[in-house]
Amino acid sequence: MYKDQTISTPGKPLGKALLYTLPMFLITFMFLTGGRPDFTDTTQTVALLTTFMGMNLLYFLMHFTGKTDRYRAVIFIIFALSLSFTLIKNMVEIRNSMSFSQADIVECKIPFCHLVIPMMIIPAAFTKSIIFPGTIIGGFADISSMVVLWLIATLVLGRGFCSWGCFYGGWDDGFSRFRKRPALRKISDSWKWMPFAVLLMVALTAALTLIPTYCDWMCPFKAVTEFEQVTNLESGVKAGVFISLFGGLVVALPVMSRKRTQCSFLCPLGAVNTVSNKVTPFTIKIDKTACNECYKCVEVCPLFALTPDDVKRGKASVFCSKCGKCVDACTKKAIHFGIKGVPAGTMKGFSRNLFLFVSFLFIAVFSSGSIMFTVRSLLNLIF
Amino acid sequence: MKRIGKIAGITWAFAGLILIIILFPGLNGFSRALAKMPFMKINPNYTGGEIAFSDSLPGYKFEIRKPVFDGLWKERTHGFVQLDWRGDFPEKISDTIDFDRDGCNDFRVTIDTKTPETDIEPLHNKVGSLNVSTSTSYGWTLRVNISK
Repeated sequence: MYKDQTISTPGKPLGKALLYTLPMFLITFMFLTGGRPDFTDTTQTVALLTTFMGMNLLYFLMHFTGKTDRYRAVIFIIFALSLSFTLIKNMVEIRNSMSFSQADIVECKIPFCHLVIPMMIIPAAFTKSIIFPGTIIGGFADISSMVVLWLIATLVLGRGFCSWGCFYGGWDDGFSRFRKRPALRKISDSWKWMPFAVLLMVALTAALTLIPTYCDWMCPFKAVTEFEQVTNLESGVKAGVFISLFGGLVVALPVMSRKRTQCSFLCPLGAVNTVSNKVTPFTIKIDKTACNECYKCVEVCPLFALTPDDVKRGKASVFCSKCGKCVDACTKKAIHFGIKGVPAGTMKGFSRNLFLFVSFLFIAVFSSGSIMFTVRSLLNLIF
Repeated sequence: MKRIGKIAGITWAFAGLILIIILFPGLNGFSRALAKMPFMKINPNYTGGEIAFSDSLPGYKFEIRKPVFDGLWKERTHGFVQLDWRGDFPEKISDTIDFDRDGCNDFRVTIDTKTPETDIEPLHNKVGSLNVSTSTSYGWTLRVNISK
């Protein structure tokens, strides 16, 4: 039985780790400052430097310690919290409430999120239009920018988007780390196919009704972002569903099982990202010659992406989000980040360095805006 | 064959690296290019449809939009029509509407924008119930359910 023991995975020497961090240091500085650093506003400067240094420290630690998931989870969870904080603060300042009104829908002012994408494909093909009351381009979270960000991220990272880019996944991930040992161990891994059923259902119902049904009725993250004003029975039921799903699938089950149950059992975009995992160049490989079949990797995988059969086959299934938890847990260093086409057990360091650079750069730049906003708001609150 | 696979894999991985590096500086340009695609417009069920008729009155503008019956591949039998009052509109709106401009009044609307109580009196059997009546950043919007 796997215990949460500290497993030594040697990282790089200090100098080498610093050298590997340098390109990330320079490129994130360029992206976070827009190439024109402006240090005139003290609060903004502190927020910028805190975010920038914090991110690069995490990246450095990934190289220095050889651990991936431990430091990925920090930025991933902070991203989820800061994004919710940013959204809620904006809404409370603009509307005095976390809920949006009929006027916001009529004026197409609802911020777009990537979870709508699976529902807008069929209507876009048939009606040549987008079934969402947002803005096509310009303003906060416009449709074009979010689609481009997701499209490129899913092409490059596949389901890695779910652990390195999704600003909701951090909620599940965070709650799944609350307990040291799972209280609920026996969850059938066949539930991991459920998102495909959800995807089919919401894609069809959205096509028939021209309403993004998942957002309208099922999204647990409405509970921590924004939801329709409760004005009648229907909107009351919807709010109840959002809160129940959040409480059950994002809080209670992850705490009890140490698994990311919302991502594993419900998310329709996760199902789409699972398909794009076939295209991405990055993968998780298992060197069968080094593997002692202890199945610690199977036990720690938060997305049910590894089974004993996968271990015997020498690679993770398409459900893998490349979070690195299994890599950190492997005492034999048999499981590692890999590149498709490159045999397992070879070019391990190169593959990990390349994947970490790509995935960390994505989450660092993608999350920087909301993290800086949150730090700045907290500073303003304190001082 | 294995060597070709290996080279292809590494090449694709480096292409991924380049894609992520150019993603953020190029996001504005990529988004604008995507926004120009023919399907990148908001469905009339959300926008309220195109403006069919507008009338400028002292201090405000009144607009009637084209009825929206949009379905997935064909028009639905049930839809809505949207009316907008823009600018400094009266506190109490009372009007008789002929939304399809056929010379016959379709419904009578009374709105007290302070309360905001809204009454719809159908004058034709194609007019149904009230869908939305709300203040907006530009004035007031009314949506009334209609059928063909």
